[in-house]
Amino acid sequence: MNMKTLHGFALAGVAVVLLACAPLLISDYWTGVLLGMTGYVTLATAWALFSGPTRYISLATVAFFGVGAYTVAVLNEVMPYPLVLLCAAGIGMIMALMVGLSTLRLAGVYFVIFTFGLAELVRQTVSWWEVNVTYTMGRYIFLPFEGRHIYWQLLALAVVTFLISWAIGRSRFGLALKALGDDETVAAHAGVDVTRIKLLLFVISSTIITLVGAIQAPRWTYIEPSIVFNPTVSFMTLIMALLGGAMRLWGPLVGAVPLFLLFEWLSVSFPDHFSIILGLLFILIVFVMPNGVLAKIDDLRKGGRT
Amino acid sequence: MSKPLEIMNLHKRFGGLVAVKDVSFKLQPGEVVGLLGPNGSGKTTVLNMISGALPCDGGTVRIGGTDITMMKPHKVAKHGVARTFQLVRPLPTLSVAENVQLSLAFGKKRHWGREARALAEEKLAFVGLEGRGDERVGNLTYIDQKRMEMARALASEPDLLLLDEWLAGLNPSELRIGIDLVQNLQGQGMTVLLVEHIMEAVRALCSRCIVMSAGEKIAEGPSAEVLQEPAVIKAYLGDDHA
Ligand SMILES: Nc1ncnc2c1ncn2[C@@H]1O[C@H](COP(=O)(O)OP(=O)(O)O)[C@@H](O)[C@H]1O
Ligand SMILES: [Mg+2]
Repeated sequence: MNMKTLHGFALAGVAVVLLACAPLLISDYWTGVLLGMTGYVTLATAWALFSGPTRYISLATVAFFGVGAYTVAVLNEVMPYPLVLLCAAGIGMIMALMVGLSTLRLAGVYFVIFTFGLAELVRQTVSWWEVNVTYTMGRYIFLPFEGRHIYWQLLALAVVTFLISWAIGRSRFGLALKALGDDETVAAHAGVDVTRIKLLLFVISSTIITLVGAIQAPRWTYIEPSIVFNPTVSFMTLIMALLGGAMRLWGPLVGAVPLFLLFEWLSVSFPDHFSIILGLLFILIVFVMPNGVLAKIDDLRKGGRT
Repeated sequence: MSKPLEIMNLHKRFGGLVAVKDVSFKLQPGEVVGLLGPNGSGKTTVLNMISGALPCDGGTVRIGGTDITMMKPHKVAKHGVARTFQLVRPLPTLSVAENVQLSLAFGKKRHWGREARALAEEKLAFVGLEGRGDERVGNLTYIDQKRMEMARALASEPDLLLLDEWLAGLNPSELRIGIDLVQNLQGQGMTVLLVEHIMEAVRALCSRCIVMSAGEKIAEGPSAEVLQEPAVIKAYLGDDHA
Protein backbone atom coordinates (compact mmCIF):
# COMPACT_ATOMS: atom_id res chain seq x y z
CA MET A 1 0.00 0.00 0.00
CA ASN A 2 1.43 3.38 -0.93
CA MET A 3 1.31 6.69 0.95
CA LYS A 4 -1.66 7.99 -0.99
CA THR A 5 -3.79 4.98 -0.13
CA LEU A 6 -2.78 5.25 3.53
CA HIS A 7 -3.76 8.91 3.63
CA GLY A 8 -7.04 8.03 1.97
CA PHE A 9 -7.76 5.40 4.58
CA ALA A 10 -6.83 7.72 7.46
CA LEU A 11 -9.08 10.45 6.10
CA ALA A 12 -11.97 8.05 5.51
CA GLY A 13 -11.51 6.62 9.02
CA VAL A 14 -11.75 10.08 10.62
CA ALA A 15 -14.83 10.87 8.51
CA VAL A 16 -16.53 7.65 9.62
CA VAL A 17 -15.81 8.37 13.30
CA LEU A 18 -17.22 11.89 12.96
CA LEU A 19 -20.29 10.57 11.16
CA ALA A 20 -20.80 7.94 13.84
CA CYS A 21 -20.69 10.62 16.57
CA ALA A 22 -23.03 12.97 14.72
CA PRO A 23 -26.36 11.64 16.16
CA LEU A 24 -25.14 12.48 19.66
CA LEU A 25 -24.81 16.12 18.68
CA ILE A 26 -27.63 16.81 16.23
CA SER A 27 -31.42 16.72 16.46
CA ASP A 28 -33.50 13.66 15.66
CA TYR A 29 -34.71 15.32 12.49
CA TRP A 30 -31.19 15.66 11.13
CA THR A 31 -30.30 12.16 12.26
CA GLY A 32 -33.22 11.03 10.13
CA VAL A 33 -31.85 12.94 7.16
CA LEU A 34 -28.40 11.47 7.71
CA LEU A 35 -29.97 8.01 7.95
CA GLY A 36 -31.80 8.36 4.64
CA MET A 37 -28.70 9.76 3.00
CA THR A 38 -26.50 6.91 4.22
CA GLY A 39 -29.10 4.46 2.93
CA TYR A 40 -28.96 5.97 -0.54
CA VAL A 41 -25.17 6.29 -0.55
CA THR A 42 -25.01 2.56 0.17
CA LEU A 43 -27.66 1.72 -2.42
CA ALA A 44 -25.93 3.79 -5.11
CA THR A 45 -22.47 2.41 -4.29
CA ALA A 46 -23.74 -1.17 -4.27
CA TRP A 47 -25.64 -0.57 -7.51
CA ALA A 48 -22.53 0.87 -9.17
CA LEU A 49 -20.47 -2.09 -8.00
CA PHE A 50 -22.17 -4.18 -10.67
CA SER A 51 -23.79 -1.73 -13.08
CA GLY A 52 -20.91 0.75 -13.28
CA PRO A 53 -18.24 -1.32 -14.98
CA THR A 54 -20.55 -3.81 -16.74
CA ARG A 55 -22.99 -1.11 -17.91
CA TYR A 56 -25.91 -3.42 -17.24
CA ILE A 57 -28.44 -0.83 -16.08
CA SER A 58 -30.50 -2.53 -13.39
CA LEU A 59 -33.91 -1.27 -12.26
CA ALA A 60 -34.32 -4.21 -9.89
CA THR A 61 -32.90 -2.25 -6.94
CA VAL A 62 -36.28 -1.92 -5.25
CA ALA A 63 -37.08 -5.61 -5.76
CA PHE A 64 -34.16 -6.54 -3.49
CA PHE A 65 -34.64 -3.56 -1.19
CA GLY A 66 -38.31 -4.47 -0.68
CA VAL A 67 -37.61 -8.14 -0.17
CA GLY A 68 -35.12 -7.17 2.55
CA ALA A 69 -37.70 -4.99 4.26
CA TYR A 70 -40.40 -7.66 4.00
CA THR A 71 -38.13 -10.34 5.41
CA VAL A 72 -37.70 -8.23 8.52
CA ALA A 73 -41.43 -7.53 8.71
CA VAL A 74 -42.28 -11.24 8.52
CA LEU A 75 -39.53 -12.61 10.71
CA ASN A 76 -38.91 -9.92 13.36
CA GLU A 77 -41.25 -11.56 15.86
CA VAL A 78 -40.06 -15.14 15.43
CA MET A 79 -36.29 -14.87 15.67
CA PRO A 80 -33.55 -12.65 17.08
CA TYR A 81 -32.69 -9.60 15.01
CA PRO A 82 -29.17 -10.61 13.88
CA LEU A 83 -30.60 -13.86 12.56
CA VAL A 84 -33.31 -11.92 10.73
CA LEU A 85 -30.64 -9.87 8.97
CA LEU A 86 -28.77 -13.04 8.07
CA CYS A 87 -31.96 -14.51 6.60
CA ALA A 88 -32.58 -11.34 4.62
CA ALA A 89 -29.05 -11.51 3.19
CA GLY A 90 -29.53 -15.18 2.34
CA ILE A 91 -32.84 -14.60 0.61
CA GLY A 92 -31.40 -11.65 -1.33
CA MET A 93 -28.46 -13.79 -2.38
CA ILE A 94 -30.61 -16.68 -3.61
CA MET A 95 -32.95 -14.35 -5.45
CA ALA A 96 -29.96 -12.61 -7.08
CA LEU A 97 -28.54 -15.97 -8.15
CA MET A 98 -31.80 -16.97 -9.81
CA VAL A 99 -32.32 -13.60 -11.46
CA GLY A 100 -28.68 -13.47 -12.52
CA LEU A 101 -28.66 -16.93 -14.04
CA SER A 102 -31.77 -16.18 -16.07
CA THR A 103 -31.04 -12.61 -17.17
CA LEU A 104 -27.35 -11.91 -17.45
CA ARG A 105 -27.43 -13.28 -20.98
CA LEU A 106 -29.75 -10.44 -21.93
CA ALA A 107 -27.99 -7.44 -23.34
CA GLY A 108 -28.65 -3.71 -23.19
CA VAL A 109 -32.22 -2.53 -23.12
CA TYR A 110 -33.66 -6.03 -22.65
CA PHE A 111 -31.90 -6.28 -19.32
CA VAL A 112 -33.24 -2.88 -18.25
CA ILE A 113 -36.80 -3.87 -19.13
CA PHE A 114 -36.49 -7.25 -17.48
CA THR A 115 -35.20 -5.82 -14.22
CA PHE A 116 -37.98 -3.24 -14.17
CA GLY A 117 -40.52 -5.99 -14.82
CA LEU A 118 -38.96 -8.10 -12.11
CA ALA A 119 -39.48 -5.39 -9.50
CA GLU A 120 -43.16 -5.14 -10.47
CA LEU A 121 -43.52 -8.92 -10.48
CA VAL A 122 -42.07 -9.22 -6.98
CA ARG A 123 -44.34 -6.46 -5.72
CA GLN A 124 -47.46 -8.04 -7.25
CA THR A 125 -46.52 -11.47 -5.94
CA VAL A 126 -46.02 -10.19 -2.41
CA SER A 127 -49.31 -8.25 -2.56
CA TRP A 128 -51.17 -11.28 -3.86
CA TRP A 129 -49.64 -13.53 -1.21
CA GLU A 130 -50.52 -11.13 1.60
CA VAL A 131 -54.10 -10.69 0.42
CA ASN A 132 -54.89 -14.27 -0.53
CA VAL A 133 -52.70 -16.44 1.67
CA THR A 134 -51.84 -14.60 4.85
CA TYR A 135 -54.87 -12.23 4.80
CA THR A 136 -52.77 -9.24 5.81
CA MET A 137 -52.80 -5.89 4.03
CA GLY A 138 -49.75 -4.57 5.79
CA ARG A 139 -47.42 -5.50 8.59
CA TYR A 140 -46.14 -3.86 11.75
CA ILE A 141 -42.52 -3.97 12.76
CA PHE A 142 -41.88 -3.55 16.45
CA LEU A 143 -38.16 -3.40 17.05
CA PRO A 144 -36.69 -1.30 19.86
CA PHE A 145 -34.66 0.86 17.48
CA GLU A 146 -34.40 4.60 17.37
CA GLY A 147 -33.25 6.50 14.33
CA ARG A 148 -29.66 6.57 15.46
CA HIS A 149 -29.52 2.79 15.93
CA ILE A 150 -30.66 2.24 12.38
CA TYR A 151 -28.28 4.92 11.21
CA TRP A 152 -25.29 3.22 12.85
CA GLN A 153 -26.14 -0.08 11.22
CA LEU A 154 -26.42 1.60 7.83
CA LEU A 155 -23.15 3.41 8.37
CA ALA A 156 -21.43 0.11 9.12
CA LEU A 157 -22.94 -1.43 5.98
CA ALA A 158 -21.83 1.59 3.96
CA VAL A 159 -18.25 1.16 5.22
CA VAL A 160 -18.27 -2.53 4.32
CA THR A 161 -19.68 -1.71 0.88
CA PHE A 162 -16.93 0.82 0.22
CA LEU A 163 -14.27 -1.64 1.34
CA ILE A 164 -15.66 -4.33 -0.98
CA SER A 165 -15.86 -1.90 -3.86
CA TRP A 166 -12.33 -0.67 -3.22
CA ALA A 167 -10.93 -4.20 -2.99
CA ILE A 168 -12.64 -5.33 -6.19
CA GLY A 169 -11.45 -2.24 -8.01
CA ARG A 170 -7.84 -3.12 -7.22
CA SER A 171 -8.14 -6.81 -7.97
CA ARG A 172 -7.92 -8.59 -11.30
CA PHE A 173 -11.71 -8.97 -11.14
CA GLY A 174 -12.02 -5.19 -11.27
CA LEU A 175 -10.01 -5.19 -14.49
CA ALA A 176 -12.09 -8.05 -15.88
CA LEU A 177 -15.31 -6.16 -15.09
CA LYS A 178 -14.14 -3.04 -16.88
CA ALA A 179 -13.02 -5.17 -19.83
CA LEU A 180 -16.30 -7.02 -20.19
CA GLY A 181 -18.16 -3.71 -19.96
CA ASP A 182 -16.22 -2.67 -23.06
CA ASP A 183 -16.42 -5.93 -25.01
CA GLU A 184 -17.53 -9.26 -23.57
CA THR A 185 -16.15 -11.25 -26.50
CA VAL A 186 -12.66 -9.84 -26.13
CA ALA A 187 -12.72 -10.38 -22.36
CA ALA A 188 -13.81 -14.00 -22.84
CA HIS A 189 -11.03 -14.71 -25.35
CA ALA A 190 -8.54 -13.19 -22.92
CA GLY A 191 -9.56 -15.91 -20.45
CA VAL A 192 -12.26 -14.16 -18.40
CA ASP A 193 -15.19 -16.33 -17.33
CA VAL A 194 -17.63 -13.57 -18.21
CA THR A 195 -20.82 -15.25 -16.99
CA ARG A 196 -19.39 -16.18 -13.63
CA ILE A 197 -17.90 -12.77 -12.88
CA LYS A 198 -21.11 -10.97 -13.83
CA LEU A 199 -23.12 -13.33 -11.67
CA LEU A 200 -20.76 -12.97 -8.71
CA LEU A 201 -20.87 -9.18 -8.83
CA PHE A 202 -24.63 -9.11 -9.29
CA VAL A 203 -25.06 -11.30 -6.23
CA ILE A 204 -22.74 -9.18 -4.07
CA SER A 205 -24.42 -5.97 -5.17
CA SER A 206 -27.96 -7.33 -4.71
CA THR A 207 -27.21 -8.77 -1.28
CA ILE A 208 -26.04 -5.40 -0.03
CA ILE A 209 -29.14 -3.75 -1.49
CA THR A 210 -31.33 -6.33 0.27
CA LEU A 211 -29.60 -5.55 3.55
CA VAL A 212 -30.22 -1.82 3.13
CA GLY A 213 -33.94 -2.60 2.86
CA ALA A 214 -33.80 -4.91 5.85
CA ILE A 215 -31.97 -2.45 8.08
CA GLN A 216 -34.21 0.46 7.11
CA ALA A 217 -37.45 -1.49 7.60
CA PRO A 218 -37.95 -0.75 11.33
CA ARG A 219 -37.93 2.93 10.41
CA TRP A 220 -41.43 2.61 8.90
CA THR A 221 -43.11 0.72 11.79
CA TYR A 222 -45.89 -0.12 9.32
CA ILE A 223 -45.11 -1.45 5.83
CA GLU A 224 -47.06 -2.60 2.81
CA PRO A 225 -45.94 -3.52 -0.72
CA SER A 226 -46.62 -0.08 -2.21
CA ILE A 227 -44.30 1.49 0.36
CA VAL A 228 -41.26 -0.78 0.19
CA PHE A 229 -41.55 -1.69 -3.51
CA ASN A 230 -41.83 1.90 -4.70
CA PRO A 231 -40.02 2.08 -8.09
CA THR A 232 -38.78 5.58 -7.24
CA VAL A 233 -36.11 3.89 -5.10
CA SER A 234 -34.65 2.18 -8.20
CA PHE A 235 -34.70 5.39 -10.23
CA MET A 236 -33.19 7.54 -7.51
CA THR A 237 -30.39 5.03 -6.93
CA LEU A 238 -29.65 4.99 -10.64
CA ILE A 239 -29.63 8.77 -11.01
CA MET A 240 -27.39 9.23 -7.98
CA ALA A 241 -24.83 6.73 -9.23
CA LEU A 242 -24.87 8.22 -12.73
CA LEU A 243 -24.59 11.81 -11.49
CA GLY A 244 -21.45 11.10 -9.49
CA GLY A 245 -20.07 8.56 -11.95
CA ALA A 246 -20.73 4.85 -11.64
CA MET A 247 -17.21 3.88 -12.73
CA ARG A 248 -15.50 5.43 -9.71
CA LEU A 249 -15.35 4.42 -6.07
CA TRP A 250 -16.50 7.80 -4.75
CA GLY A 251 -18.81 8.61 -7.67
CA PRO A 252 -22.06 7.28 -6.18
CA LEU A 253 -21.36 9.11 -2.91
CA VAL A 254 -20.71 12.38 -4.71
CA GLY A 255 -24.00 11.94 -6.56
CA ALA A 256 -26.10 10.64 -3.68
CA VAL A 257 -25.46 13.33 -1.08
CA PRO A 258 -26.63 16.42 -3.00
CA LEU A 259 -29.41 14.57 -4.81
CA PHE A 260 -30.78 13.11 -1.60
CA LEU A 261 -30.95 16.57 -0.04
CA LEU A 262 -32.53 17.96 -3.19
CA PHE A 263 -35.11 15.17 -3.28
CA GLU A 264 -35.93 15.71 0.39
CA TRP A 265 -36.58 19.35 -0.27
CA LEU A 266 -38.52 18.69 -3.49
CA SER A 267 -40.76 16.03 -1.98
CA VAL A 268 -41.69 18.42 0.82
CA SER A 269 -42.03 21.55 -1.31
CA PHE A 270 -43.47 20.09 -4.54
CA PRO A 271 -45.03 16.74 -3.60
CA ASP A 272 -47.28 16.71 -6.70
CA HIS A 273 -44.57 17.40 -9.24
CA PHE A 274 -41.91 15.25 -7.70
CA SER A 275 -41.84 12.50 -10.37
CA ILE A 276 -41.79 14.99 -13.25
CA ILE A 277 -38.85 16.83 -11.73
CA LEU A 278 -37.14 13.50 -11.12
CA GLY A 279 -37.59 12.55 -14.78
CA LEU A 280 -36.31 15.88 -16.05
CA LEU A 281 -33.26 15.66 -13.81
CA PHE A 282 -32.57 12.21 -15.08
CA ILE A 283 -32.61 13.32 -18.72
CA LEU A 284 -30.44 16.31 -17.88
CA ILE A 285 -27.80 14.18 -16.18
CA VAL A 286 -27.66 11.60 -18.96
CA PHE A 287 -27.27 14.28 -21.63
CA VAL A 288 -24.97 16.74 -19.91
CA MET A 289 -22.59 14.36 -18.14
CA PRO A 290 -23.10 10.76 -19.14
CA ASN A 291 -19.97 9.75 -17.24
CA GLY A 292 -20.77 11.67 -14.08
CA VAL A 293 -19.54 14.75 -12.26
CA LEU A 294 -16.13 13.37 -11.32
CA ALA A 295 -15.31 12.53 -14.94
CA LYS A 296 -16.54 15.98 -15.98
CA ILE A 297 -14.27 17.64 -13.41
CA ASP A 298 -11.35 15.53 -14.67
CA ASP A 299 -12.10 16.60 -18.24
CA LEU A 300 -12.31 20.26 -17.28
CA ARG A 301 -9.02 20.04 -15.37
CA LYS A 302 -7.24 18.40 -18.28
CA GLY A 303 -8.80 20.91 -20.64
CA GLY A 304 -7.54 23.74 -18.43
CA ARG A 305 -3.98 22.48 -18.45
CA THR A 306 -3.48 21.94 -22.17
CA MET B 1 6.11 -24.25 -25.60
CA SER B 2 3.98 -24.95 -28.67
CA LYS B 3 1.37 -27.62 -29.10
CA PRO B 4 -0.03 -29.21 -32.26
CA LEU B 5 -3.53 -28.34 -33.45
CA GLU B 6 -5.74 -30.99 -34.99
CA ILE B 7 -9.08 -30.26 -36.60
CA MET B 8 -11.34 -33.06 -37.83
CA ASN B 9 -14.49 -32.75 -39.93
CA LEU B 10 -15.44 -29.35 -38.61
CA HIS B 11 -18.96 -28.34 -39.57
CA LYS B 12 -21.03 -25.18 -39.16
CA ARG B 13 -24.45 -24.12 -40.44
CA PHE B 14 -26.11 -20.71 -40.17
CA GLY B 15 -29.75 -21.46 -40.88
CA GLY B 16 -29.76 -22.85 -44.40
CA LEU B 17 -26.20 -21.76 -45.16
CA VAL B 18 -23.41 -24.26 -44.65
CA ALA B 19 -20.55 -21.94 -43.71
CA VAL B 20 -17.99 -24.66 -42.96
CA LYS B 21 -18.25 -28.14 -44.40
CA ASP B 22 -16.16 -31.10 -43.22
CA VAL B 23 -12.92 -29.20 -42.84
CA SER B 24 -9.93 -31.11 -41.45
CA PHE B 25 -6.28 -30.12 -41.09
CA LYS B 26 -3.33 -30.29 -38.70
CA LEU B 27 -0.70 -27.84 -37.57
CA GLN B 28 2.60 -29.10 -36.20
CA PRO B 29 4.21 -27.24 -33.28
CA GLY B 30 6.12 -24.21 -34.50
CA GLU B 31 4.45 -24.13 -37.91
CA VAL B 32 3.08 -20.94 -39.45
CA VAL B 33 0.26 -21.97 -41.77
CA GLY B 34 -1.87 -19.74 -43.99
CA LEU B 35 -5.64 -20.14 -44.17
CA LEU B 36 -6.71 -18.64 -47.47
CA GLY B 37 -9.87 -18.24 -49.46
CA PRO B 38 -12.18 -15.60 -50.95
CA ASN B 39 -14.44 -13.51 -48.72
CA GLY B 40 -17.24 -15.51 -47.18
CA SER B 41 -15.49 -18.84 -47.64
CA GLY B 42 -15.66 -19.60 -43.91
CA LYS B 43 -12.17 -18.73 -42.60
CA THR B 44 -13.31 -16.55 -39.71
CA THR B 45 -15.94 -19.14 -38.84
CA VAL B 46 -13.21 -21.78 -38.55
CA LEU B 47 -11.22 -19.52 -36.22
CA ASN B 48 -14.38 -18.83 -34.21
CA MET B 49 -14.96 -22.54 -33.74
CA ILE B 50 -11.35 -23.22 -32.72
CA SER B 51 -11.39 -20.38 -30.19
CA GLY B 52 -14.79 -21.32 -28.79
CA ALA B 53 -16.61 -18.19 -29.95
CA LEU B 54 -19.06 -20.34 -31.92
CA PRO B 55 -20.25 -23.84 -31.06
CA CYS B 56 -19.50 -26.46 -33.75
CA ASP B 57 -22.32 -28.38 -35.41
CA GLY B 58 -19.95 -31.29 -35.88
CA GLY B 59 -16.32 -32.32 -35.76
CA THR B 60 -13.55 -32.03 -33.19
CA VAL B 61 -10.80 -29.60 -32.30
CA ARG B 62 -7.79 -30.88 -30.39
CA ILE B 63 -4.89 -28.90 -29.05
CA GLY B 64 -1.90 -30.90 -27.87
CA GLY B 65 -4.10 -33.96 -27.50
CA THR B 66 -6.81 -32.19 -25.43
CA ASP B 67 -10.30 -32.07 -26.90
CA ILE B 68 -11.43 -28.43 -26.74
CA THR B 69 -14.34 -28.76 -29.18
CA MET B 70 -17.23 -27.53 -27.06
CA MET B 71 -15.28 -25.43 -24.57
CA LYS B 72 -16.22 -21.84 -23.78
CA PRO B 73 -13.78 -19.17 -25.05
CA HIS B 74 -12.27 -18.48 -21.62
CA LYS B 75 -11.47 -22.19 -21.19
CA VAL B 76 -9.97 -22.40 -24.66
CA ALA B 77 -7.80 -19.40 -23.79
CA LYS B 78 -6.54 -21.23 -20.70
CA HIS B 79 -5.67 -24.20 -22.90
CA GLY B 80 -3.29 -21.99 -24.80
CA VAL B 81 -5.21 -20.57 -27.75
CA ALA B 82 -5.08 -16.81 -28.32
CA ARG B 83 -6.54 -14.79 -31.15
CA THR B 84 -6.85 -11.40 -32.76
CA PHE B 85 -9.97 -10.12 -34.50
CA GLN B 86 -10.59 -9.32 -38.14
CA LEU B 87 -11.71 -5.85 -37.09
CA VAL B 88 -9.37 -4.68 -34.35
CA ARG B 89 -11.10 -4.67 -30.96
CA PRO B 90 -9.32 -2.59 -28.32
CA LEU B 91 -10.89 -2.15 -24.89
CA PRO B 92 -11.29 1.64 -24.75
CA THR B 93 -11.92 2.00 -21.00
CA LEU B 94 -8.58 0.34 -20.28
CA SER B 95 -5.15 1.83 -20.85
CA VAL B 96 -2.81 0.17 -23.32
CA ALA B 97 -1.00 -1.67 -20.52
CA GLU B 98 -4.28 -2.74 -18.90
CA ASN B 99 -5.44 -4.25 -22.18
CA VAL B 100 -2.38 -6.47 -22.03
CA GLN B 101 -2.60 -7.07 -18.27
CA LEU B 102 -6.07 -8.51 -18.74
CA SER B 103 -4.62 -11.48 -20.62
CA LEU B 104 -1.77 -11.75 -18.15
CA ALA B 105 -4.23 -11.94 -15.25
CA PHE B 106 -6.60 -14.42 -16.86
CA GLY B 107 -4.44 -16.37 -19.27
CA LYS B 108 -2.62 -19.58 -18.45
CA LYS B 109 -1.09 -18.07 -15.33
CA ARG B 110 -2.39 -15.41 -12.96
CA HIS B 111 0.00 -12.51 -13.19
CA TRP B 112 -1.05 -9.52 -11.15
CA GLY B 113 0.38 -6.40 -9.56
CA ARG B 114 3.85 -5.04 -10.21
CA GLU B 115 5.05 -8.25 -11.83
CA ALA B 116 2.18 -8.12 -14.33
CA ARG B 117 2.91 -4.51 -15.14
CA ALA B 118 6.52 -5.38 -15.92
CA LEU B 119 5.46 -8.32 -18.09
CA ALA B 120 2.98 -6.09 -19.92
CA GLU B 121 5.78 -3.65 -20.70
CA GLU B 122 7.83 -6.56 -22.00
CA LYS B 123 5.04 -7.67 -24.35
CA LEU B 124 4.47 -4.09 -25.47
CA ALA B 125 8.17 -3.66 -26.17
CA PHE B 126 8.11 -6.84 -28.25
CA VAL B 127 5.41 -5.48 -30.55
CA GLY B 128 7.06 -2.06 -30.75
CA LEU B 129 4.98 -0.13 -28.22
CA GLU B 130 7.75 0.47 -25.73
CA GLY B 131 6.79 2.90 -22.95
CA ARG B 132 3.30 3.51 -24.32
CA GLY B 133 1.50 1.54 -21.60
CA ASP B 134 -0.20 4.51 -19.95
CA GLU B 135 -1.77 5.86 -23.13
CA ARG B 136 -5.47 5.59 -23.91
CA VAL B 137 -6.08 3.02 -26.66
CA GLY B 138 -8.31 5.57 -28.40
CA ASN B 139 -5.23 7.68 -29.06
CA LEU B 140 -3.33 4.90 -30.82
CA THR B 141 -3.05 4.81 -34.59
CA TYR B 142 -4.53 1.88 -36.47
CA ILE B 143 -1.30 -0.10 -36.66
CA ASP B 144 -0.53 0.58 -33.02
CA GLN B 145 -3.96 -0.76 -32.06
CA LYS B 146 -3.15 -3.88 -34.07
CA ARG B 147 0.17 -4.17 -32.27
CA MET B 148 -1.57 -3.78 -28.93
CA GLU B 149 -4.02 -6.50 -29.87
CA MET B 150 -1.08 -8.76 -30.71
CA ALA B 151 0.55 -7.98 -27.36
CA ARG B 152 -2.74 -8.78 -25.63
CA ALA B 153 -2.94 -12.10 -27.43
CA LEU B 154 0.66 -12.98 -26.59
CA ALA B 155 0.22 -12.04 -22.94
CA SER B 156 -1.86 -15.13 -22.23
CA GLU B 157 1.23 -17.16 -23.17
CA PRO B 158 -0.47 -19.13 -25.94
CA ASP B 159 0.68 -22.31 -27.65
CA LEU B 160 -1.35 -21.42 -30.71
CA LEU B 161 -1.98 -17.99 -32.14
CA LEU B 162 -4.93 -17.35 -34.47
CA LEU B 163 -4.47 -14.21 -36.57
CA ASP B 164 -7.53 -13.09 -38.53
CA GLU B 165 -6.30 -10.77 -41.31
CA TRP B 166 -4.02 -9.15 -38.81
CA LEU B 167 -1.99 -7.53 -41.60
CA ALA B 168 -4.98 -6.12 -43.50
CA GLY B 169 -5.20 -2.37 -43.90
CA LEU B 170 -1.53 -1.65 -43.32
CA ASN B 171 0.51 0.50 -45.71
CA PRO B 172 3.60 -1.08 -47.34
CA SER B 173 6.10 0.01 -44.68
CA GLU B 174 3.75 -1.02 -41.86
CA LEU B 175 3.22 -4.33 -43.62
CA ARG B 176 6.98 -4.92 -43.53
CA ILE B 177 6.96 -4.26 -39.77
CA GLY B 178 4.01 -6.59 -39.32
CA ILE B 179 5.62 -9.41 -41.28
CA ASP B 180 8.85 -9.02 -39.28
CA LEU B 181 6.87 -9.29 -36.07
CA VAL B 182 5.24 -12.56 -37.09
CA GLN B 183 8.64 -13.82 -38.22
CA ASN B 184 10.00 -13.04 -34.75
CA LEU B 185 7.22 -15.14 -33.28
CA GLN B 186 8.05 -17.90 -35.70
CA GLY B 187 11.64 -17.69 -34.52
CA GLN B 188 10.42 -18.25 -30.96
CA GLY B 189 8.66 -21.42 -32.05
CA MET B 190 5.06 -20.16 -31.90
CA THR B 191 2.42 -22.09 -33.83
CA VAL B 192 0.40 -19.66 -35.92
CA LEU B 193 -2.72 -20.06 -38.05
CA LEU B 194 -2.81 -17.03 -40.27
CA VAL B 195 -5.90 -15.95 -42.21
CA GLU B 196 -4.53 -13.68 -44.88
CA HIS B 197 -5.29 -12.14 -48.26
CA ILE B 198 -1.96 -10.42 -48.83
CA MET B 199 0.08 -12.83 -50.98
CA GLU B 200 3.36 -11.10 -50.17
CA ALA B 201 2.78 -11.91 -46.49
CA VAL B 202 1.68 -15.47 -47.20
CA ARG B 203 4.80 -16.14 -49.28
CA ALA B 204 7.08 -14.59 -46.67
CA LEU B 205 5.56 -16.32 -43.66
CA CYS B 206 3.78 -19.53 -44.49
CA SER B 207 5.54 -22.74 -45.38
CA ARG B 208 2.14 -24.32 -45.89
CA CYS B 209 -1.28 -23.12 -46.92
CA ILE B 210 -4.84 -24.34 -46.63
CA VAL B 211 -7.34 -22.91 -49.09
CA MET B 212 -11.10 -22.76 -48.52
CA SER B 213 -13.89 -21.96 -50.92
CA ALA B 214 -17.60 -21.85 -50.10
CA GLY B 215 -17.02 -23.58 -46.76
CA GLU B 216 -14.91 -26.44 -48.08
CA LYS B 217 -11.19 -27.08 -48.03
CA ILE B 218 -10.14 -27.16 -51.70
CA ALA B 219 -6.37 -27.33 -51.40
CA GLU B 220 -3.54 -27.86 -48.94
CA GLY B 221 0.23 -28.01 -49.30
CA PRO B 222 3.44 -25.98 -49.62
CA SER B 223 2.54 -22.36 -50.34
CA ALA B 224 4.32 -22.05 -53.68
CA GLU B 225 2.59 -25.15 -55.07
CA VAL B 226 -0.87 -24.50 -53.66
CA LEU B 227 -1.02 -20.99 -55.06
CA GLN B 228 -0.45 -22.42 -58.57
CA GLU B 229 -3.28 -24.95 -58.45
CA PRO B 230 -6.06 -24.31 -60.97
CA ALA B 231 -8.80 -24.84 -58.38
CA VAL B 232 -7.26 -22.18 -56.15
CA ILE B 233 -6.85 -19.69 -58.98
CA LYS B 234 -10.40 -20.38 -60.04
CA ALA B 235 -11.76 -19.85 -56.52
CA TYR B 236 -9.95 -16.54 -56.20
CA LEU B 237 -10.39 -15.11 -59.67
CA GLY B 238 -13.41 -16.86 -61.19
CA ASP B 239 -13.74 -19.38 -64.04
CA ASP B 240 -12.21 -17.26 -66.80
CA HIS B 241 -8.71 -17.49 -65.39
CA ALA B 242 -8.64 -21.20 -64.67
N1 LIG C 1 -22.70 -15.31 -36.98
C1 LIG C 1 -23.12 -15.56 -38.25
N2 LIG C 1 -24.43 -15.69 -38.54
C2 LIG C 1 -24.84 -15.96 -39.78
N3 LIG C 1 -24.04 -16.11 -40.82
C3 LIG C 1 -22.71 -15.99 -40.63
C4 LIG C 1 -22.19 -15.70 -39.32
N4 LIG C 1 -20.83 -15.64 -39.41
C5 LIG C 1 -20.54 -15.87 -40.70
N5 LIG C 1 -21.65 -16.09 -41.44
C6 LIG C 1 -21.68 -16.41 -42.86
O1 LIG C 1 -20.85 -17.53 -43.07
C7 LIG C 1 -20.12 -17.39 -44.25
C8 LIG C 1 -18.64 -17.48 -43.95
O2 LIG C 1 -18.25 -16.29 -43.28
P1 LIG C 1 -16.78 -16.03 -42.72
O3 LIG C 1 -16.36 -17.20 -41.96
O4 LIG C 1 -16.82 -14.73 -42.01
O5 LIG C 1 -15.95 -15.91 -44.05
P2 LIG C 1 -14.47 -15.37 -44.29
O6 LIG C 1 -13.84 -15.08 -42.99
O7 LIG C 1 -13.79 -16.46 -45.05
O8 LIG C 1 -14.61 -14.14 -45.14
C9 LIG C 1 -20.54 -16.07 -44.89
O9 LIG C 1 -21.53 -16.33 -45.85
C10 LIG C 1 -21.12 -15.31 -43.72
O10 LIG C 1 -22.12 -14.43 -44.16
MG1 LIG D 1 -13.13 -13.29 -42.19
